[in-house]
Amino acid sequence: MANFLAQFQSIKNSCDRIIVAVEDVSDLWPLVKKSFEERLPLKGAVLNNKTRNPVFLQSLPVEYILTTDARIRSRFPHELSLFWFREPYATVVLVTCEDLDEFKTILKPRLKLIVQNDEREWFIVFVSRAPPHNDQATKMAKKVYARLEVDFNSKKRERCCKLDLLAPEANFWEDMETKVLESIRNTLDRRIQFYEDEIRKLSEQRFMPVWNFCNFFILKESLAFMFEMAHLHEDSLREYDELELCYLETVNMVGKQRDFGGMDRGDDQAALLSPGNKPLTQIVQNDSFRAFEFRQYLFACQAKLLFKLNRPYEVASRGYAFIMSFSKELVLHEKVLPFCAREVWMITACLSLIDATASRYSDVSVAPDTEKEFHRVQGDLYSLCRTKFMRLAYLIGHGPDIERSPANSASLSMLPWPKPAVWPSIPADASSEVLEKEKTILHATPKMKHFGIQRKALPLEPSLLLREANRRRASLSVGNALEMFDGQSFMDGSDSELRRAPAPKVNAVTMSRTNSSLGIFESTIDRPMRLSEIHVAAEHALKKTISDPDLWKSLSSLEEFEKKYLQLSKGAADNYHHSWWKRHGVVLDGEIAAVWYKNGNYDLAAKSYEKVCALYSGEGWQDLLAEVLPNLADCQRILNDQAGYLSSCVRLLSLDKGLFLPKERQAFQSEVILLAHSEMENPVPLDVSSLITFSSNPGPPMEICDGDPGTLCVTVWSGFPDDINLEALSLTLTDTHNADEGVKARKSSGATILKPGKNAITLSLPPQKPGSYVLGVLTGHIGHLIFRSHNFSRGGPAESDDLMSYEKPTRPILKVLEPRPLVDLVPAVSSALLLNEFQWMGIIVKPINYSLKGAILHIDPGPGLVIEETHNIEMERYDNAGENQLKSTRSEDSAGDVHFKQLTLQNSRLELPEWASNITSVLWIPMRAISDELVRATSEGVDNLQRQSLVDGLRTIALKLDFGVSLNQTFERTIAVHFTEPFHVSTRVSDKCNDGTLLLQVILHSQVKATYTIYDAWMDLQDGFAHTGQRDGRPASAFFPLVISPTSKAGILFSICLSNMNPEDEPKQPQEDSILNIKYEISGNRNVGAHSPVALPHSGVENATEHLTFRCAVGLQRPVLDPCLAVGFLPLPSSGLRVGQLVAMKWRVERLKFFEDSALSENKNEVLYEVSANSENWMIAGRKRGYADLSKDEGSRIVVSVLCVPLVAGYVRPPQLGLPDVSKTTISCNPPGPHLVCVLPPPLSSSFCIPA
Amino acid sequence: MTSTACFMIVSRNDIPIYEAEVGAAPKKEEAVHQHQFILHAALDIVQDIAWTTSAMFLKSIDRFNDLVVSVYVTAAIHTRLMLLHDSRNDDGIKSFFQEVHELYIKSLLNPLYLPGSRIKSSHFDTKVRALARKYL
Repeated sequence: MANFLAQFQSIKNSCDRIIVAVEDVSDLWPLVKKSFEERLPLKGAVLNNKTRNPVFLQSLPVEYILTTDARIRSRFPHELSLFWFREPYATVVLVTCEDLDEFKTILKPRLKLIVQNDEREWFIVFVSRAPPHNDQATKMAKKVYARLEVDFNSKKRERCCKLDLLAPEANFWEDMETKVLESIRNTLDRRIQFYEDEIRKLSEQRFMPVWNFCNFFILKESLAFMFEMAHLHEDSLREYDELELCYLETVNMVGKQRDFGGMDRGDDQAALLSPGNKPLTQIVQNDSFRAFEFRQYLFACQAKLLFKLNRPYEVASRGYAFIMSFSKELVLHEKVLPFCAREVWMITACLSLIDATASRYSDVSVAPDTEKEFHRVQGDLYSLCRTKFMRLAYLIGHGPDIERSPANSASLSMLPWPKPAVWPSIPADASSEVLEKEKTILHATPKMKHFGIQRKALPLEPSLLLREANRRRASLSVGNALEMFDGQSFMDGSDSELRRAPAPKVNAVTMSRTNSSLGIFESTIDRPMRLSEIHVAAEHALKKTISDPDLWKSLSSLEEFEKKYLQLSKGAADNYHHSWWKRHGVVLDGEIAAVWYKNGNYDLAAKSYEKVCALYSGEGWQDLLAEVLPNLADCQRILNDQAGYLSSCVRLLSLDKGLFLPKERQAFQSEVILLAHSEMENPVPLDVSSLITFSSNPGPPMEICDGDPGTLCVTVWSGFPDDINLEALSLTLTDTHNADEGVKARKSSGATILKPGKNAITLSLPPQKPGSYVLGVLTGHIGHLIFRSHNFSRGGPAESDDLMSYEKPTRPILKVLEPRPLVDLVPAVSSALLLNEFQWMGIIVKPINYSLKGAILHIDPGPGLVIEETHNIEMERYDNAGENQLKSTRSEDSAGDVHFKQLTLQNSRLELPEWASNITSVLWIPMRAISDELVRATSEGVDNLQRQSLVDGLRTIALKLDFGVSLNQTFERTIAVHFTEPFHVSTRVSDKCNDGTLLLQVILHSQVKATYTIYDAWMDLQDGFAHTGQRDGRPASAFFPLVISPTSKAGILFSICLSNMNPEDEPKQPQEDSILNIKYEISGNRNVGAHSPVALPHSGVENATEHLTFRCAVGLQRPVLDPCLAVGFLPLPSSGLRVGQLVAMKWRVERLKFFEDSALSENKNEVLYEVSANSENWMIAGRKRGYADLSKDEGSRIVVSVLCVPLVAGYVRPPQLGLPDVSKTTISCNPPGPHLVCVLPPPLSSSFCIPA
Repeated sequence: MTSTACFMIVSRNDIPIYEAEVGAAPKKEEAVHQHQFILHAALDIVQDIAWTTSAMFLKSIDRFNDLVVSVYVTAAIHTRLMLLHDSRNDDGIKSFFQEVHELYIKSLLNPLYLPGSRIKSSHFDTKVRALARKYL
């Protein structure tokens, strides 16, 4: 049956659609052909597939062929079954008849004959040629057709339809298409059944020796082809899949070793998408096919169907899998295939697959997932192709131009290399080429990387390529590989050497040189080949292998190689970028960048390198980053992208220290510094977060008071390999509660040198708002370059910060406290001091947990207060009240005590001593309160009222304290100091003796907390009074010295008498008041209150012992000797006075005698009166002041009455009636002196009481 | 014991936090780069596969010639333990992963270890190497 293969092929090529036979009984075909074929292909067909499930087809191409056609007629019967798929699937019988008899006699038997073959699916189309207006003809045609239907239609199936040529019915074509399709469906079902049976039969014999794959193939493919014709592509594909499985199962059966194939010219170009590449008859071998061609053929068929099914993605993914599995197959047969045929095949396979799928993919819209996956497969294909292409390029000597990146190195050196049976030998006439190659190899010194980075290049070739290339040859010739080498590194020839051989590239090169120079082996065949020779040999061999001129062109020159290499890399990268595999894409971007970099296209190279670096650094793969980052930096340097270059240098420096040599790291640093100190066009802040990190010192945060500057200690880690000079350094702190406002701390003291590693840096801090602060940003200058770092380190070198983001230190480094009192100034003494004397005024300076170092006190005494500037101000430690006395005495004892100092006031400023910074101290200021007023004594009874107001003795002193670290804090306070006269003096006439002598008692009331010693007291009397006896008015001297304890009283009795006033003394200014003079001494403690006055330095010793003098005016009143008027206070009601009750106060004024010389003489009959009362005690209703009628006659009298309400209960002074116009000396009062009345409390009000 | 193996722990942010060459074969300098490259590229595939299965152990997700990448994805933090190996001892690799996972969890529990940072503990290193000797 295998002989039918050729025939089968030709049949397959000639027929491509389903055939419907037309049995033209009545020569009607020419008439109807056009309208029949107009309606092709059939639309909306439903066919059954192999599993008998209906499949809907949009359109089904069908061809009508007359049964008389040569294509159908001449066939041998045995072919029929085998190539049944090409037979007509339906038979249309075209008939016409206009006569019933004719039908019965001629047509019917003939039709019966035609349709008796059960194999065929047939139906009859009756064509009526009767014109519609001809009723007769139409009727006849109908009759005949009816007859036809009776004869040929069965119950199950209608097999007739009628076509009116001249008046076609609307539904005829529909009807006919249904019938055609029904027939096709039935035929197809039957044929599928037939093929299936046949195939099953053959399959059962599969493992028998007689089995022939070709037969199976023909049957199987026939079925597949039939499905394809019927547009049942899915089924067709399934058949091919099964066929492939079966082939793979049988092809490797033991004992049936066949040729693999692939030895023909052009076989290196993959034919996996062109099924017609080679006729099957050429690849048939015994009872099967050659695997090389046949597997490609099968895949091509599958691909064709998949494309028809519009599934290019599946073609690509199946294709990739096919290429991989086929490449394994090729490895097995590598020894018989041409040199590197596998690589070339894979390249061409990938390229053709990429082209085919990509071109068909463009117009397909698919799910996004599939799209991504498609691009991923495309990327895989591209990168596979790229790898193989690089390998070929390396073999022919483009190796030095291939970037030795990890990606290239891994894909080239870690995957198996070609192992031909015999490595190609060098052609005889190639010595010049060898020389040239040798030259290029010698020139291709490993390119020096920027920064002087020297790292061992990654290998591109497996370690034993050179050895492999020579071994086979050697074994052929001398048989011992070891002899050929000097044996330095390849001493053991075992295969495990692959992993042990160190530094393959370097050794390979040096070794080849030694070999060539030694020249031990004379003959070409014996001598091991040098690397250059290998290249030349490979090139020649490849030239033979590669049949595709384009591919060869790509390999022939360096430019072309790079072009192709770029194209492949770009294709792979683009596709990976469109898929999910970003990393693959970015890595390839790096490879593209390497080419651009090499070719001086730095702009593009930098862009791509940036992408790669971003990926690696983002994911922290530092080893890989260290490979590309120097290149990026170099590009940026060349492009004069200073900012980028600097940041690249910084990134290089911040990589793991182990990745670069110290020398290289120093080179990075020197680049940074060099650039920083040069004039940059656009200085951009440089982010050194990864390199310079900072952290707060451990421990609690520093605390400063509001408004204070401070110094902040932080730890800064430098990642620079050497010391680095910073021109300036400042640090921003962030308020934890208010993110907007930051604070800047600055390193004021010029340049800073950062050592590698840990540095303690002290920064000065301006005054801050209250709050707590965390570290913000570190900025500074290196040369002209501003840098900034955001990175907090946690006590160690920098970690990559993105993963720490949630761990950012929130621990405050600085707390600025809310404003609080920092110091207090209070007067040391609360009791009064002496007026008009120098007194120590004590001010307690009390720091509240705050140092007063260097504080300055401004003292501004208020009006009426003078600081004795000639005297030093004293300062001493202040101790608590209980110990006051003791301490002060002790401090006096130990004059050298550090806690005592005399200070001088300069421009009313005073600097506090250092020892007083933190302790409470007291400042003694010598002061004098000045008061010009002469004190007046008061009568004993009225002292409440006329007592000297406290305010008179008050003086203020304004204090201002500047303190703090830079005197930034200020404390201001005005202190009131109470000064007083030493005594309050009250007088009383204790007795009036019969002889006119008055005993005047003077009561001295001490006003201060100090003890007085009175040495002397005398009284200068006013006119009209004289001392009794001839004495000078001094009390008995035996009384003195009289000691008066603090705040106690003492009395002195003066005996005086009235004296006549001398009229001749008139011109002399009459002395209105008597003056009481008291000489006294005061002994008190300044810590308590008044004390002896400050001894003035200039007044000398003399003054020191002088007693103080106190003068006090005492108003003495002469008794009324010649009363003209008498005022009598009338008795009050007996019920007494009560608060709130109205009472009438009455005075009787009586004229005792007439007096002419009175000032009142003008107002003859009137007298002016005035009622005065303390408004706190009394409310007066009525006229307080007015004129009362009083005749001038002697004895006239009047009663003045005023309504009053007492306001206060107790003994109070009642209102008094005065007569302002009349001299007091002529008024006799009753009672004569001040008196008191008793006011009862208000009666209880019962209105709010609840009866029991 | 397997001759070539490179073990790596990759954190959630794709940052390698631990790496060790655990193969018995003598160390080649360039191999480190290549292994890193292969494992890094395999992250692309892990990312595809990890969400399609509930298994933590993803066996042989990528191969590179005779080297195979197996990955173990932890549940919570999405840390990936990646092993590049040339042996086919799946059970051993699985046990290795499980035990290393346990070790990793222990080091996570260390309050001084910041999750996501490099594992520098020499104890961890020793243990991992011992496990590699035992299982691979």
